[in-house]
Amino acid sequence: MSELDIAVREAKLAAQQLSESWEEINLLYSIGEILGRTVNLDDAARTILNEISETVGAKRAAIFVHEASSGLLRPVAVLGADAAKMKPIAIDDESSVAARVFRTQRPLLVPEGELESPLEAPVRTGAMLSVPIMWTSPTGGVPLGVVTLSGRRASERFTAGDQKLVAAIATQIGTAIQIDHLVKASVATERLAHEMQLAHELQMRLLPSPNVVAPDATCAARVEPALSVGGDFYHLFKLGQGRTGVLIGDVSSHGYQAALIMALTMSAMAIHAQNSDDPARTVTSLLASLSDELKQTEMFLSLCYVVIDPERGELRYANTGHPHAFVVAADGTAERLTATDPPLGLGTEEPRGSRRAWHRGSDLLVLFTDGVSDARDDRGRVLGEARVLDVVKARRAEAPQRVVDGVFALVEGHMGRVTPEDDQALVVLRS
Amino acid sequence: MSFSVTTRGDVCIVEVEGQLIVGNRQELKQKILDELDKGTRKVLVDFARTGYIDSSGLGVLVSLAKKMREMGGDLRLANLNDDLQTLFELTKLDTLFQISETRERALENF
Repeated sequence: MSELDIAVREAKLAAQQLSESWEEINLLYSIGEILGRTVNLDDAARTILNEISETVGAKRAAIFVHEASSGLLRPVAVLGADAAKMKPIAIDDESSVAARVFRTQRPLLVPEGELESPLEAPVRTGAMLSVPIMWTSPTGGVPLGVVTLSGRRASERFTAGDQKLVAAIATQIGTAIQIDHLVKASVATERLAHEMQLAHELQMRLLPSPNVVAPDATCAARVEPALSVGGDFYHLFKLGQGRTGVLIGDVSSHGYQAALIMALTMSAMAIHAQNSDDPARTVTSLLASLSDELKQTEMFLSLCYVVIDPERGELRYANTGHPHAFVVAADGTAERLTATDPPLGLGTEEPRGSRRAWHRGSDLLVLFTDGVSDARDDRGRVLGEARVLDVVKARRAEAPQRVVDGVFALVEGHMGRVTPEDDQALVVLRS
Repeated sequence: MSFSVTTRGDVCIVEVEGQLIVGNRQELKQKILDELDKGTRKVLVDFARTGYIDSSGLGVLVSLAKKMREMGGDLRLANLNDDLQTLFELTKLDTLFQISETRERALENF
């Protein structure tokens, strides 16, 4: 061979290598563009698969993405086969090339006739090159899926160069998958936050305006749920002949289930309160309405239902396990309306009632939940019932709204920046 | 805060250190359910080193007591400090539990 021939041959080889490198560089550039243009993983995966197959010369190819909830590798893009016929592959499937590559996190070139899984048959003809799709985080690499290529044109073999190229692209696909996961998680979180906000607004709307008992009584109330939806609530009823019904309740939990029990209690009480002026009978009827739900949810309900009859100078109440119910007199003494029974849902079928005198225009009814008196500061110290009552006593001659404002100023001052762990509810009424 | 579990005869004694609140109640529940799975039917919860129980802590004691009764067992309480004793009285939960002043007294007739 002459020197000229050698020179020509080398020049041709260099041109071929340059051409191949150009194709590879072009492929990486195109994929960068595809990923930059789209956040839709399925579309990006299909386009990328076409580009790789074209460059490597594979007639069949697939991209599988790992689904953490089911432990399956799901085909998101398929080339050379009907995508509908492809089934997901379990990551512990011993006969699958893709599953093995996912487990070992290493590329694998399997010759024809070896490791032939029926699940991969639609995307395999002869040898198969499979490369893991990795996401590299500061704590290490995490496998997200697998790319498989097969059916190389003209029976050429897959080379180490092909493997390197596919591995480089798989890294970019990994980034796309991770972005897709993050976008979906962000959308889901946003939707959940929106739904929780709606639930909060709905729950707050169920609580009546304190003005519903005017002019028979002057009332102020405030509820602060610890989560978006909570289990503390109050209700007010105008019972006729100057009488007023006041309910405070605390479901033994927070969140959706507690909110459901609260809503059921509110609607059942609206019916039962109008049927009797005896709080014990009203609460007995309420328990009959709620008992199935309380049993199913393993929850219980502490509540205090008070009926004030200023004409007769009488207060009657039924208290199922609610500790913080008081009448504060004009002289500043606070008398507790002690519980007559344990909380509803714990076996009592007929809650009892009690009664005491009521001084028209001067006695103050004060009902609050343990989220108020048990509020904690940044060192974990509990506010305490006594300090709450001190504020009430100091403002006992003022309008109920001033009493509520004073107590919440105390609670908020005590908690500082601490997030409350429990719902807080307070009702103050004069009649 | 933590829970320590010891056994005296056929009674499982669970000691609550610190507080029983919304943040650790499930841990107590699981510990006692694990004991039930092992066949234990008598559980004494000792509050000698407990300063505070919130409403969700009370809730878990009540649901455990109910579950144990359904399984033919019994859950009793001991060593409540004055504040906790008052809390049980104010909520009338003292009518649902057998509460003893000391661990020894609780074990006497268990």
